[in-house]
Amino acid sequence: MKVNYLPKNRLRHPYLRRIVILVTIFIFGAIVFSFLDVVILSIISPVWKAENQISRSLRNSATLFGSQKALVEENAALKERLYSLEAELLFLSMGRVQENTLLELVGRKGQSNMMAVAVLTHPPQTPYDVIIIDAGLNESITIGSQVLLPEGPLLGTVSEVFPKSAKVKLFSADGEETNAILERNDVPVTLVGTGGGNFRLAIPRDIAIEKGDRILSAGIISRPLATVGEVNVQPTDSFKAVLAKIPINIFTIRFVFVTP
Amino acid sequence: MTGRILWLVVIFASILVLPYWVYIPVLFIGIILFPFFWEGIPLAFLIEVLHGSGMAVLPLLISPLALSVLIALIILLPIRERLRSYV
Repeated sequence: MKVNYLPKNRLRHPYLRRIVILVTIFIFGAIVFSFLDVVILSIISPVWKAENQISRSLRNSATLFGSQKALVEENAALKERLYSLEAELLFLSMGRVQENTLLELVGRKGQSNMMAVAVLTHPPQTPYDVIIIDAGLNESITIGSQVLLPEGPLLGTVSEVFPKSAKVKLFSADGEETNAILERNDVPVTLVGTGGGNFRLAIPRDIAIEKGDRILSAGIISRPLATVGEVNVQPTDSFKAVLAKIPINIFTIRFVFVTP
Repeated sequence: MTGRILWLVVIFASILVLPYWVYIPVLFIGIILFPFFWEGIPLAFLIEVLHGSGMAVLPLLISPLALSVLIALIILLPIRERLRSYV
């Protein structure tokens, strides 16, 4: 005797079962991974350190073999150095000495107990504007510690700390809002991170702003945060849409300073 | 099965050392290539743990990447079944 089964019942149940399995894995994974982050990072950190060392030594040994390749790499290194020097020049032009003298006069000294740390991962390895540094609780780094570039610009703050490493959320992380000051006319502005080392901000159209203008942090010790890259304004707009970027290339950061 | 394990190793290695514009597409290709690729969910969480910013309590539950992987897996369930039925 031939028996006909209804296909509907056969199809619906496997889907539901699989969906339930997937959702269970999702919830279970979310809970487990949020508690295991310290363990996972402590396991992976040595891998990143080794990778950094291997890539550096490979880069160095490769220069011995290919002259053309060596030139390309030297070019890249020089570009990196150029970015660094440009940023340093930018910072020095503020008159750092004068500022320190003034601060000392009013009883506020600049922070000098900064620690140099190596960067384990940086964008584009991380999809968000987050970097991982090789110092953590053992080196007295706490959540909220400021992270600066060796050349002076402020980069971000520590968002998570582990015993031997820490995550730094850059001010340019998507949606991150930072109070800042437009140097040209001392106007307070709010920088909104858009990822990839970029920011956007809106200022009234009457305020003068030009490409290359610097945007400084709002603290008593002002440090460069970004430089204006583009200014867009339509005749009907009451605000100017400004695009700014971190003064150096964040894709090549190797060392940063942290204030414990 | 070997291909699946190999792909998992490739995704894992790329999460560790390659840029995000490599490992995220590789993860989604795995989801499309292999049936019921549930391993994609833990891998997405691994990406969040390693490279995410994690500011809130249990931020992984609202992780956009892990959610996208879950949604992609659920959407692909009936699509894959239909493709197999009619091809």
